[in-house]
Amino acid sequence: MNDRNKIIYTLILLINVTPYLYVFYNFKKVNFNIDSILGFYPIFGFLACISLIIIAKTIAVILKKGDTYYD
Amino acid sequence: MISSLISHPAFPLAIGSLFIFLFKEKANLISIGSILISLFILLFITNNVDYVYKSSLASINYFSYSKLAYLFCLVFLIMGLIGKLFSIYRDSYKEKAMVLMYISSAIFVLFSGDFLTLYVFWEIMAIASTMVIWSSNSDKSLSAGNRYLIMHLLGGLILLLGIIGLYIDTNNLQIRLLNLDTWYNWMILIGFLLNAGAPPFSQWIPDAYPEGSYSSTVFLSAYTTKTSVFILIVTFAGSHVLMLIGIYMIMYGIIYALLENDIRRILSYSIVNQVGFMIVGIGIGTELSINGTAAHAFSHIIYKGLLLMSAGSVIYMINKRKCTDVGGLYKTMPLTAICGIIGALAISAFPLTSGFISKSMIVDASIHEGMQLVWLMLLVGSAGVFLHAGIKFPWFVFFHRDKKIITTDPPIYMKYAMIAASAICIIIGVWPQLLYGLLPYPVDFIPYTGNHVVSQLHLLFFSALAFFISLKYLERTLTLTLDVDWLYRGKIKYIKLLIKYLFGMINKTENIFSFIGLRNKFTILEDYLLRQTTISTMLILILIIFTVSLVMNIS
Repeated sequence: MNDRNKIIYTLILLINVTPYLYVFYNFKKVNFNIDSILGFYPIFGFLACISLIIIAKTIAVILKKGDTYYD
Repeated sequence: MISSLISHPAFPLAIGSLFIFLFKEKANLISIGSILISLFILLFITNNVDYVYKSSLASINYFSYSKLAYLFCLVFLIMGLIGKLFSIYRDSYKEKAMVLMYISSAIFVLFSGDFLTLYVFWEIMAIASTMVIWSSNSDKSLSAGNRYLIMHLLGGLILLLGIIGLYIDTNNLQIRLLNLDTWYNWMILIGFLLNAGAPPFSQWIPDAYPEGSYSSTVFLSAYTTKTSVFILIVTFAGSHVLMLIGIYMIMYGIIYALLENDIRRILSYSIVNQVGFMIVGIGIGTELSINGTAAHAFSHIIYKGLLLMSAGSVIYMINKRKCTDVGGLYKTMPLTAICGIIGALAISAFPLTSGFISKSMIVDASIHEGMQLVWLMLLVGSAGVFLHAGIKFPWFVFFHRDKKIITTDPPIYMKYAMIAASAICIIIGVWPQLLYGLLPYPVDFIPYTGNHVVSQLHLLFFSALAFFISLKYLERTLTLTLDVDWLYRGKIKYIKLLIKYLFGMINKTENIFSFIGLRNKFTILEDYLLRQTTISTMLILILIIFTVSLVMNIS
């Protein structure tokens, strides 16, 4: 098992633990309608990051140049 | 007059920078000493009195106290002290003197009460910071400094036009809240925003800052952008256009940082990103968001300094600045790695760090105003910060592939500086009341609620998961990413052609000039301008702006 997989498993473990924080903090405050969806923050954060990476990669197709482009 | 100088915290720094040129061997002592004196003056002598010089044309208010200026000045001096501790081993008295001049002019800007004083120190700040970039003495820093200076002088020029318009129209130069209803207020806004790294001129930050020496980048990151944030709070709080600009900056910083390979350039992109959060806070413009912006500027200066110090330590010890050249340094540089990770956690607003208690204020302000779209964008930003700076920086530098680089932690004072900055990040995160007491408006905000902590942890863990799942696609390559600066980088030959053409026109009117005996002098000037790229570019720009304003009959 390499480092990357170890970290992914640790993260999944941590992510499984955090919902219990809901219980301890009596977490029931809703700001807008959208975050009343169960698991809004995790899903939103994950999708946001994946889409940012996809956008970055798309931009890179056009704008990425060699290291010595300006030299 | 004398009492106003004695109670001005910027004054000892200005004197100190001159003294360094006289006593070059004592540069460290003088810098740290003068910052300590400034700190003493700020804490015990500076009082809530305005010093105004009245003339028949305008009243010049060169010292105007406000709680906000006090807060910014305090963090400027703290960061100056930590940075000076970090740069003790840097063997360049010029850099040390110019850094003092730079901090001093930034503080003069904070306490200036009218636009004229502000403008003068604004320009001194631009020049001093260029000197700080140039002091790294490499060819790259020379050309990057040129571009930086041209950009800032252009911004200063636009600002000056705005100030002149403001004076002609209202006959009042007092710094006050402005509305975006006249052309000159827009000019002033553009002049300020250019220093904050707003689009389309964001690229000067990642272009110029990483070319400084390992120590000067720490200072550069702290002052120019945050002075601009300060002045935007004072003059344009509540202008909703700033929210759009801020959101663009947040996304720009993340996307470009994801593609970047240079360690310090990644951190420079994240300056744009973090200033974006502050600009959004200014755009919202409520008491809570202004408090949040001020608090975020405070914590940002410290943790960004910390991140750049840990990057600077790596560069100081192994002289490598690319992600592709480093990796696995946690074994050989454990303290640097720990401090870097604390900084990375603070920038991604992890609970119990300074970023958390300040950024959640801005996010909450958007909720209070019912701005759902802004709030969602801030959430994307929060997740993205962890992606591009919170994990990417420590992962590629201290972990990832072990490159088996043999080195140690940096010397003792550099360690002290990093430990001090990490301590501040954590102390503010654990006892937020320390910072909240200094904010401009009274605070009744509790950062550690279940809602904040749980939602933030969820965002961060899942963005970490997204990072490691897509690690294959984030692998660094030896590339750079084009930006708006493509439009002018390497285009100096056109400026030179233009100068030759203009002087050719002058030389055609030979008779007049040969008669007065000026022709020879014009040839000398032409030669000089062809060699001095910055001056010739500025000259052309001034000519263009002057022509445009004449055509539009703005005068």
